Amino acid sequence: MPYKKLRIEVANRVGYILLDAGSRFNKLSITTIRELKRALAQVEADREVGAVVLSGYPGESFAVGADIGQMLHFDPADAFHFAELGQSLFEQIESCHKPVIGALNGITMGGGCDLAMACDIRIAVDSLQIAHPGARLGIITGFCGTRKLPRIVGKNFAREMFMTSDPYNAVEALQMGLVDRVHQSADFWPMVTGFAERIASHPLKALSASKRLLNAAENCDLRSGCLLERETATHINSNLL
Amino acid sequence: MSERLCSIQYKDRGLVVLAAHWRESASTAEFLETLGKRIATISDNGEIRGVVVTGLSQVRQQCRRADDATLYDVSALSGFGQQILFNLEKTGKPSIAAIDGECTGLGLEIALACDFMVASETARFGFPAIAEGLIPFCGGTQRLARLVGKSKAKEMIYSGDLIDSAEALRIKLVNRLYPEPELLPKTMELMAHICTRSPNAIRIGGEVVNAGFDIDLQTACMLERNAFALCFSSFDRHEGMQAFLDKRQPRFKGE
Repeated sequence: MPYKKLRIEVANRVGYILLDAGSRFNKLSITTIRELKRALAQVEADREVGAVVLSGYPGESFAVGADIGQMLHFDPADAFHFAELGQSLFEQIESCHKPVIGALNGITMGGGCDLAMACDIRIAVDSLQIAHPGARLGIITGFCGTRKLPRIVGKNFAREMFMTSDPYNAVEALQMGLVDRVHQSADFWPMVTGFAERIASHPLKALSASKRLLNAAENCDLRSGCLLERETATHINSNLL
Repeated sequence: MSERLCSIQYKDRGLVVLAAHWRESASTAEFLETLGKRIATISDNGEIRGVVVTGLSQVRQQCRRADDATLYDVSALSGFGQQILFNLEKTGKPSIAAIDGECTGLGLEIALACDFMVASETARFGFPAIAEGLIPFCGGTQRLARLVGKSKAKEMIYSGDLIDSAEALRIKLVNRLYPEPELLPKTMELMAHICTRSPNAIRIGGEVVNAGFDIDLQTACMLERNAFALCFSSFDRHEGMQAFLDKRQPRFKGE
């Protein structure tokens, strides 16, 4: 089945999922989320791919939240199912055994911010505008952002972002730790592809083992995490001695 | 007298300033009791939309122990203080601590229970009472470690050294710095700006952030799904989305 809201490219062991939802902003509609799930499954299964880049490049936005016109008519049950669908995409990104890099090429709002936070690493263009504007709309996010943003930027910056609903720029996002790297727009895409290709050149089993362990580190106590690391490392590093 | 240890000043647009006024003769328990009463007033008053906390650099921890105090009394004081700061955390209204001068000990513990801190460039922060053998007792060890990380928290608490505002900004203890004369006006302006957003979404969002922080991802996301769905039965979300589509400012009611 062809994709309407995105396209997939594979080059030098990197799988690119490029959102292009057809308007200025990549709205995370139900269709777009379903296509993202399908595209990710396809790229994950592709043996030619060692790392995944998720971006809205070369468009104006990375992704914005749901279509407000669509959401206006949601009742609480619709909202619940919509949150469930979005959360299932983010779970899929986290459990994907290949690293997923979010390349934030521009406007990143609401659900788009949550999509970025589901990625393992975030690289932003210097013109980035990133916001969680739920409180302007009378809602909170339903896409795991209330849990993930405080863990990434600290509780206090998370509360500030949610409470002001204002856009933050690349410098602020870097200072908060919301993005890991910032590049000027002229260098942005070459830096993203170069970085992704370097990661993709490493042995996949070592990449996926470290991704699993780093995700587990967030969710379990130190001793259990170390036990898990020992088991995994024994298996992965079997040629160490 | 206790009435003057901590006061609420009512400003326009539903904003209040919760101001600490320390007096050498006051005991820690008296101060906490007054603070608790003010927090209850803020929680119960539907007209109040946002709280700016000031005067925290005046707050002192009283180190002298009454001769007949037992360990039970010390433990009870800690439990009492912790409960009051939990109450500050869950008033349902946004709170910003505006810090100038030296914010230490109990003052810093109160600031840590606010949604976030802003400070003047001359502000300093720390827990110097370690020199007299005292550690934070109102949730400060737990909130500090969660905010700035375990090792930074240990460095601050073990050493008792005060850090300056630039360092506080760098380690994310404070969110914003302002020149000293602008601190209060800028903080009030920021709070007024926040109060143009949906009070309902801010209250529910704050609760979910606090509840989700210490639990596993799956359970936190389940909580969030339910809270997200709950927003869709509110007046605010209909008004917010309609205003967005009409390209006008929303008029939220907080319901």
